[in-house]
Amino acid sequence: MKNLNRRDFLKSTALGVSAVALGATSVKGADKTLSEDRIGILVDTAVCIGCRNCEWACRVAHDMPTKELESYSDNSVFKEYRRPDKTALTVVNQFENEKNPLLPVYVKNQCMHCERPACVSACIVGALTKQADGSVIWDDDKCIGCRYCMVACQFQIPSYDYDKSIDPHIRKCDLCFERRKKEKLPACVNICPNEALLFGKRSEIIQIAKNRIKRKPDEYIDHIYGEFEIGGTSWMYIAGKNFEKLKMPPLGNNPAPGISESIQHGIFAYFVPPVALYALLGTVMWITRRRNGENDEENILKPHDEKGENK
Amino acid sequence: MMMKKVYFLYIPLILIICIAGSNLLPKGLTKKFDADKGNFSKENQNNNLTHVESDFTNQTLTCKSCHETEYPTKNDPGLRKCPRFDMISKFPTFNKGPEVVDIKEMSDKYTDVVFSHKIHSQMSEMSIGCTDCHHYNTTGPVLNCRECHEQNRSREDVSVPDLKAAFHRQCMGCHKQWSHDNGCSTQCHSNKGTDVKNRDRQEMLDKKHPKVTEPTKMIWETNSAAGKIVTFFHNEHNQLFKINCNTCHKQENCTKCHDVNNPKDDKNPIGIKKSFEDHHKPCMNCHNENACEKCHKEKEMTPFNHSSSAGWTLKNYHSRLACEKCHGNSMPFKKLDNNCTSCHKNFAPGKFDHKLAGLTLSENHKEMECENCHLKNDFSKPPDCKTCHDDKSFPAQSPGKR
Ligand code: SF4
Ligand code: SF4
Ligand code: SF4
Repeated sequence: MKNLNRRDFLKSTALGVSAVALGATSVKGADKTLSEDRIGILVDTAVCIGCRNCEWACRVAHDMPTKELESYSDNSVFKEYRRPDKTALTVVNQFENEKNPLLPVYVKNQCMHCERPACVSACIVGALTKQADGSVIWDDDKCIGCRYCMVACQFQIPSYDYDKSIDPHIRKCDLCFERRKKEKLPACVNICPNEALLFGKRSEIIQIAKNRIKRKPDEYIDHIYGEFEIGGTSWMYIAGKNFEKLKMPPLGNNPAPGISESIQHGIFAYFVPPVALYALLGTVMWITRRRNGENDEENILKPHDEKGENK
Repeated sequence: MMMKKVYFLYIPLILIICIAGSNLLPKGLTKKFDADKGNFSKENQNNNLTHVESDFTNQTLTCKSCHETEYPTKNDPGLRKCPRFDMISKFPTFNKGPEVVDIKEMSDKYTDVVFSHKIHSQMSEMSIGCTDCHHYNTTGPVLNCRECHEQNRSREDVSVPDLKAAFHRQCMGCHKQWSHDNGCSTQCHSNKGTDVKNRDRQEMLDKKHPKVTEPTKMIWETNSAAGKIVTFFHNEHNQLFKINCNTCHKQENCTKCHDVNNPKDDKNPIGIKKSFEDHHKPCMNCHNENACEKCHKEKEMTPFNHSSSAGWTLKNYHSRLACEKCHGNSMPFKKLDNNCTSCHKNFAPGKFDHKLAGLTLSENHKEMECENCHLKNDFSKPPDCKTCHDDKSFPAQSPGKR
């Protein structure tokens, strides 16, 4: 048996990317169309050295203004806790290591590319979409700058570039959409000197994370952050201490509220007379319910039908 | 911009129609969304990684643990990738290794990285030894990192770090305290063509760590209710019980003791705060039965004494044996009873040469059953002469010659 070929893997995610460009594989909120081979990235905080090369590479890859790489080794930035914003899609923060104050812990933050992304659910115009390859990307032309995604995101990730006030742009990690189109690894993964960022198939990455924890039980706590949090995320973390202490929000395993809300938001966002729309909605519900009724019948007849459909 | 606004007035409508539409679609059609799945066959998804990723904590070795090929030969051993420490069998001692290693991996861009192998290997004795870096080796020559660590970041098996990461992790695991002035380009990589001074080889060779003196007895005053005073005999654990340094001193590095960024203080060990668990772990690894009372006493403990601890004085041959000869290799030591036959399975009538017990039996006693003298075959008690001789007792009288 041959190992799956990494080039093939990149190629497949790249294919996914180009398919997305044609609008074929985008899905909204639901996980049923997620590919089994979807992307996972592990941040091994025990290996990260806080060099911030990833921050630099990310800026360069996204044509954002940046100082030269050498300036990133100035670690005075760690004095303040930073969040990703419109000037940095990813930031690295420093945390104290109680065991040895001379060996601090570093944690890279960026959009987690949730398996059930709240931002996608909240987006009233469908600008944000969850891709089959796991990434959460957006269409700048559709975005109207309502900022619902900012409110919905449990990790406070999306930010807005308001420099051109009438034409705002979402700023968040796009899992290096453009680079992956060219079969390249995400810029941060590619540059990391310690390979603290591990890019691969999500299922495979989880297995590697588990093995690392098992092999060094003294070094890691037995928890992969993002394996299950809010329904799972594409970026996952392992660490030697409680994630709360690393300012990773303690979230349950339930995904954020679902898709239905966004229809309601949509109605009010555009000041369309609600009565007219309710009439339309009524019709839709009637059709939908009838359709669901049929589904139910089918399910009774064929209980083992298509696993994904009944999730 | 105007176009955009008009377009969005239709959005709710479009949305609703889409949702209704997706519900109206025949079931099979929704599968279309799975389009970019299945670039890998099922076989590929489930395959095992080539290197041994099995249970590292509990590994039993077979030929297959190391050799991939069915018929390994000397010239073509067909070794597996990286099964790690558990199987390392032999190492050259540190003073046989090279003094300085030049790493030329990026010689097109940077000057060579000069690695002071000698002092690193010397100090590794304080930690887990050579295996810290050379974490996989057979009895043969020390393997090159490239044997396992691929050059390419975009590769098939990502569970083993690539070469760049493998190198950096070795250094940066300890030298995490880099800063702008103490960064990559001054410590290791000098850009080619710049006049940054390369690290001084001679200085590197001359560098020696002062001899680390081993503590003998350490005493702590704790506030434990189980007993305030904890005495630890470092020398006994090391010399008498032959416990390797790295059984307790795991994963230690220079920064555990020295703050390299603070030259004023780089000679003084820094105070490391340990959690309750971390403090107790080295002891509890072995002393896990009589936990607190084993160490926490009201007064200072006396050195180890086999007679008082085990209730059995080591005499003759036994006093010359290493602990593990009787008590086994694994920690905690195996408890033994005082019966000779518990260990000496061959001490059976007719087979046992009584001379070994320090007493040659006289002709009259030679042919007797053991239990005639050692009642119920209990060899821990002195023999009983009374069963045959009313007037004799051991050791005043003896059934043979000493
Ligand atoms: S982290 Fe926030 S922005 Fe990123 S996918 Fe999840 S909900 Fe959306
Ligand atoms: S994946 Fe790309 S966009 Fe996301 S943090 Fe890394 S470099 Fe930035
Ligand atoms: S490049 Fe890698 S090691 Fe450096 S800060 Fe980013 S994740 Fe950490």
